Amino acid sequence: MKPAMMRAQASLTRRLLLWVLAALLLVWAGFVAVGYRTGIHEAGELTDGHLAGTAALMLNLDLPPFVDAARETVRPAIPTLKSHDYQPSLSVLVRGADGRLLARSGDAPVPPFNEHSGFADLELGTPPATWRSFSQWDGLHARQVTVLVRADERDEMAADVAGQLAEPGLWLLPVVALALGAAIWRGLRPLQALSRDVAELEVDKAERLEARHPYREFNSVVRSINTLVGQQQASLERERQLASEVAHELRTPLSSIALQAASLRGELSPAAREQALAQIGADAMRAGHVIAQLLALARASRADLQQQMQRLDLGALAGRVVAGYAQASWESGHTLSVQGEEGLEVLAHPLLLELALRNLVDNALQHTARGTFVCVQWGHDADAAWLQVCDDGQARPGAVAPSAERLGLGHKIVGRVMDVHGGRFTQPAAPAPFTRCYRMVLPLTP
Amino acid sequence: MRILVVEDDAGIALGLRTNLQQRGYAVDVCASLASAWSALSGEPFDLVLLDLGLADGDGGDLLLRLRQARAGAPGALPDPLTPVLIMTARDQVADRISGLNLGADDYLVKPFNLDELEARMRALLRRAAGRAHPLLVHGDLVVDPAARTVLRAGEAVELAPREFALLLLLLESRGRVLSRQQLEARLYNWQDAVGSNAVEVHVHHLRRKLGEGLIQTLRGVGYFIPREDGT
Repeated sequence: MKPAMMRAQASLTRRLLLWVLAALLLVWAGFVAVGYRTGIHEAGELTDGHLAGTAALMLNLDLPPFVDAARETVRPAIPTLKSHDYQPSLSVLVRGADGRLLARSGDAPVPPFNEHSGFADLELGTPPATWRSFSQWDGLHARQVTVLVRADERDEMAADVAGQLAEPGLWLLPVVALALGAAIWRGLRPLQALSRDVAELEVDKAERLEARHPYREFNSVVRSINTLVGQQQASLERERQLASEVAHELRTPLSSIALQAASLRGELSPAAREQALAQIGADAMRAGHVIAQLLALARASRADLQQQMQRLDLGALAGRVVAGYAQASWESGHTLSVQGEEGLEVLAHPLLLELALRNLVDNALQHTARGTFVCVQWGHDADAAWLQVCDDGQARPGAVAPSAERLGLGHKIVGRVMDVHGGRFTQPAAPAPFTRCYRMVLPLTP
Repeated sequence: MRILVVEDDAGIALGLRTNLQQRGYAVDVCASLASAWSALSGEPFDLVLLDLGLADGDGGDLLLRLRQARAGAPGALPDPLTPVLIMTARDQVADRISGLNLGADDYLVKPFNLDELEARMRALLRRAAGRAHPLLVHGDLVVDPAARTVLRAGEAVELAPREFALLLLLLESRGRVLSRQQLEARLYNWQDAVGSNAVEVHVHHLRRKLGEGLIQTLRGVGYFIPREDGT
């Protein structure tokens, strides 16, 4: 991957951190908003409580009769009276039953007389300012006490309370963000380790992901990757084996050709010369046959296969292939026959299936003694159709089993053909009188 | 020199037989492990060229069996010391190691160059005869098995292939008497028609070309070339 692409690629750690911080910010903002609203509300309640409390205090005091306060007296300011942040600047008015002002404290403008008791927001003074007031009569309805406080003083207190609630959140937010970033980075280390291990995995060296990823969340990933790696390694091994088989199948005729060519340079009788030339021709044909098989296999890619699949009558295929070996079997002294259910069809690639069947018939003719009975059979089980080549070669006097090496390439090709058909290549128990069978198992046509 | 080729591919067997015979070797071919073991048990061979993938088993099994055969009196068969050269299409390093570990003296992958094969065969034969030098020197006689040349006092001597093979056999076995039957067994393969006095005729020709004193006759026993130190 190019470095520029790596730089442009998004980071899961950063994405997680951004999302967590966004969520945190949202929660925190909500918390501050609720705190502010609660602060305002509680400050209002508190202020009203102060007003009501002060009024009750004044009414319950056994005060002497108030002097006539209709005349304004000089009221000097006493700064020390307000020395605490939350000490409100209350004003108190005492009126008689007729509304006459009996006493007054504080700098609130005198509001018009109102016989009603309770809380009220009043616009007083010039310029007008909002005041919160509470009025209450005594039990005899002889005196009315009104307590006032400036509304903006109340609001300042509410904002202060809300600010005090929100402030820790504001300076804690960066700290929490850093702590979360570190936690996410640390928490994602196993994922980073897994990612690094996957990147460093060398499939062709038969490596697997080690079991040092103890988190169960990774189990399926590790298992899947190891399964894929296993499949890849098996595939590579199959390729290596096929290459080895092909090399073997080609080296043998090439060696023979080289030896015949060398012998032709020396002195040879006419008969020996003719034999050497005939052998060169036969070996060249043999090498060509191997190459033709490989080409057929290579051309039948999986992509092509699905388009080229068609319904094939196994009986017709077997008959056609066996007919093609009539002369060869007559010359080699083999007896060839076909046997199977009429009209059994499978969905298969015609060229490949014929190639596979030819390989099996070829092997049977080449690796069994004269007089061997070779039979191509087909049929079906509950869920699969099968096509097999059986011979009774082992029952013949002096027979020897062909080595696996000699059958190798042909069987590899048959196995590969079955792979691309979703079938399998097996060697089932041979029914009497046969001694050996090789079977291709194919899915039944729906 | 008599060579046993154990090879089940008819083309390669034919090519080896023809080429090696053209180069003066007596060659017999076996296509299976069973026939090869019978041959090794019944006839002396100077060298075995062994294929691994045979119809009735792996050539390695024959090699193992040969190497594990009990060494008897001189000339007893099969001879576990017979040099074996594996020639196979298996080219993996593991196959080479396995073949050599089984007791093969050399390993050659098909397809091979015939000259290389013969050079390796000569090296094995030389080693089996207990000498390292490629030339056989006896007095003023110098024999080059690779070039198939013979010099007597610096003069080239022309020998027929069978005469050359007989001279080589006697020189390799200097000081040791070889019977007519032993010489025939090492000079001719199963298909060769051997006349009753064929060996005598070749000895006569060698004496004529190389001098009467070289090859000695032990009447009723056989022929030998005395070692130069007289022992």
